[in-house]
Amino acid sequence: MELCFDVKNLNLWYGEKQALTNINMAIESNAVTAFIGPSGCGKSTFLRCLDRMNDLIEGCRISGAIIHQGIDIFSKAQDIVDLRTKVGMVFQKPNPFPMSVYDNIAYGPRCQGLKDRKKLDEIVINSLKGVALYDEVKDRLHDSALGLSGGQQQRLCIARAIAMSPEVILMDEPTSALDPISTNKIEDLILELKKDYTIVIVTHNMQQAARISDYTAFFLLGEVVEMDKTDVIFNTPHDKRTENYITGRFG
Amino acid sequence: MNRKTKDMILDGLTYISSGISVFVLIAIVLYLIIQGASSINWHLLSSNYNVTAYNAAVVETNPGNYAPYNGEGVYSEQYGVAFKDITTAHNDDEIQVVYIDSSSPLANMESLIAGEEGKMVGLNEDSVVQSLYYFDQSGERVFLSRTQMSDAATLVDILDNQSSGVYSINYQTLGGGIRGSIIVTLYLIVISLLISLPIGIASAIYLHEYATKSKINSLIRSGIDTLTGVPSIVYGLMGVTVLFPVTQLMGATSTSILLGGLTLAIILLPTIIRSTEEALMVVPQSLRDGSLSLGATKSQTIFKVVLPCAVNGILTGILLGIGRVIGESAALVYTTSTVINDYPTLLGQGTSLSLMIWSIMSGEQPNYELASAISLIILILVFIINILVKVVAKRFSRRLV
Ligand SMILES: Nc1ncnc2c1ncn2[C@@H]1O[C@H](COP(=O)(O)OP(=O)(O)O)[C@@H](O)[C@H]1O
Ligand SMILES: [Mg+2]
Repeated sequence: MELCFDVKNLNLWYGEKQALTNINMAIESNAVTAFIGPSGCGKSTFLRCLDRMNDLIEGCRISGAIIHQGIDIFSKAQDIVDLRTKVGMVFQKPNPFPMSVYDNIAYGPRCQGLKDRKKLDEIVINSLKGVALYDEVKDRLHDSALGLSGGQQQRLCIARAIAMSPEVILMDEPTSALDPISTNKIEDLILELKKDYTIVIVTHNMQQAARISDYTAFFLLGEVVEMDKTDVIFNTPHDKRTENYITGRFG
Repeated sequence: MNRKTKDMILDGLTYISSGISVFVLIAIVLYLIIQGASSINWHLLSSNYNVTAYNAAVVETNPGNYAPYNGEGVYSEQYGVAFKDITTAHNDDEIQVVYIDSSSPLANMESLIAGEEGKMVGLNEDSVVQSLYYFDQSGERVFLSRTQMSDAATLVDILDNQSSGVYSINYQTLGGGIRGSIIVTLYLIVISLLISLPIGIASAIYLHEYATKSKINSLIRSGIDTLTGVPSIVYGLMGVTVLFPVTQLMGATSTSILLGGLTLAIILLPTIIRSTEEALMVVPQSLRDGSLSLGATKSQTIFKVVLPCAVNGILTGILLGIGRVIGESAALVYTTSTVINDYPTLLGQGTSLSLMIWSIMSGEQPNYELASAISLIILILVFIINILVKVVAKRFSRRLV
């Protein structure tokens, strides 16, 4: 198995407050890794470290290393824009840009300087097909993306990430704002995408983690309590705290 | 006191206060309309303020071949010209030409004014007659003063029945128009926005998107807020001392419209910065995150996602700015001067519409009608701009959303 991210002794502070403590984790390529844990335990914070989105937050300090393709992503050698083209992100609430469906998906490639209309068309159509949205929106590619339903918007956001042909897609509770039917569609989609991409997903929903992930990490108070194959975590956890959380005794 | 009566009292107070403000607003608008509406016409908008006087001799003695005329005024068959009694915006009674046939002897005369003798001039629809010399039935030259001709009917009677010809006419343009000041106002709007918009938007972007929460930046911010409260007469003083040398470099020899525009640009800066910044604040962080996570650079994010979302707020800033420029007078007293100029140029002097009100009212004979008419025009202008900006904003947001 190939490693996608190798996290070493990662600590993170928001101002004086430490949000992540001494995290060590290996995330495998072409697999689905799920992060679970009670809210406020640092799952999103850690996920955002993987494409350095915490750089935007004032007063945020990081120590440790995350090795991706042989280099530490926090080192000077790592170009941050380059990292973000290889690592896509899907957010908790769908956040399509206030533009047409087409322009939303073409946004990333255009920012990289792609202007060729034919190539853009191809990327847009393939990305939409990749998230099974093409048939639903093919007649309104040039209408505003804000007119789509919540579930469609979230799939559009995934398509937007796919359009960059990234290696990794990070998802932060991508279904928490959606209805059950849209949630099902996105779960199916994740299983489909797993073939081509490495997926790291934060989820609040333990059934979801059990259904779609290969590996699960359990976070508590800024630390990783336990990480293992998903069926191990859910059936024979080693740590008492994991077991308590899984069986619903707290959290 | 029980809750119900308390509620009633509070509700009542709210209604009364809003009633008072609505009443005051309506009263102001009504006053302006009653005082000024009758003075507003095309002549007021399109003609010069200052009067030009002419003195010209008749060269053609035979009547022309006139087209029949049935319009308003008193018509002279002999000379193919119709006169009307009017009261000018300055409250003077005048006899104005309302129609003149192009073949009339009075339309093609030779100037008698020193320096331009022999130049062809003539009465037109903008002329008011002051006095004239005519030949009576015995061929004697007679002077007819403005008081002697008393009204249009008397004048036409003399021209058609009592004279054997006209020797010369003294007349002038009607004047009292505000065209020059409208042009100055437009100049000021364009100059001040051209300068303050790019600088203001860039500053707002810096403050909101790039600046960290350092001491210096919060100092800049409170500085900008303070600028909003500085009285505009102070800006005027600053303009004439600090900015005048700048306009001198561009060739100005006195205070000028350019100087006024520069001063206004500085007055507008805080407004533009504030409204842009407020617009940027409303743009959800999730859109910035989304853009950055797609590998867009920070400036791509700002120009492709953030600014288009903020466009409504920026337009609001422009609207407020234009309103401020139209309404500003104190800052212009020292910078554009209070001289009413009918042919304004960038480096020349002039008054904006609101400064013109000041000029008119501070003269020897304050003219309430003209001042109210200009106020009404300003009100209408602001109203139109308001609607325009809203339409544009809607267009934009429809494209975005
Ligand atoms: N931008 C921020 N500034 C300061 N503290 C933050 C910020 N974002 C998150 N935190 C804090 O960090 C901790 C972890 O938050 P988060 O990663 O969002 O948790 P989770 O996603 O697991 O619910 C929380 O205590 C939260 O209050
Ligand atoms: Mg979270």
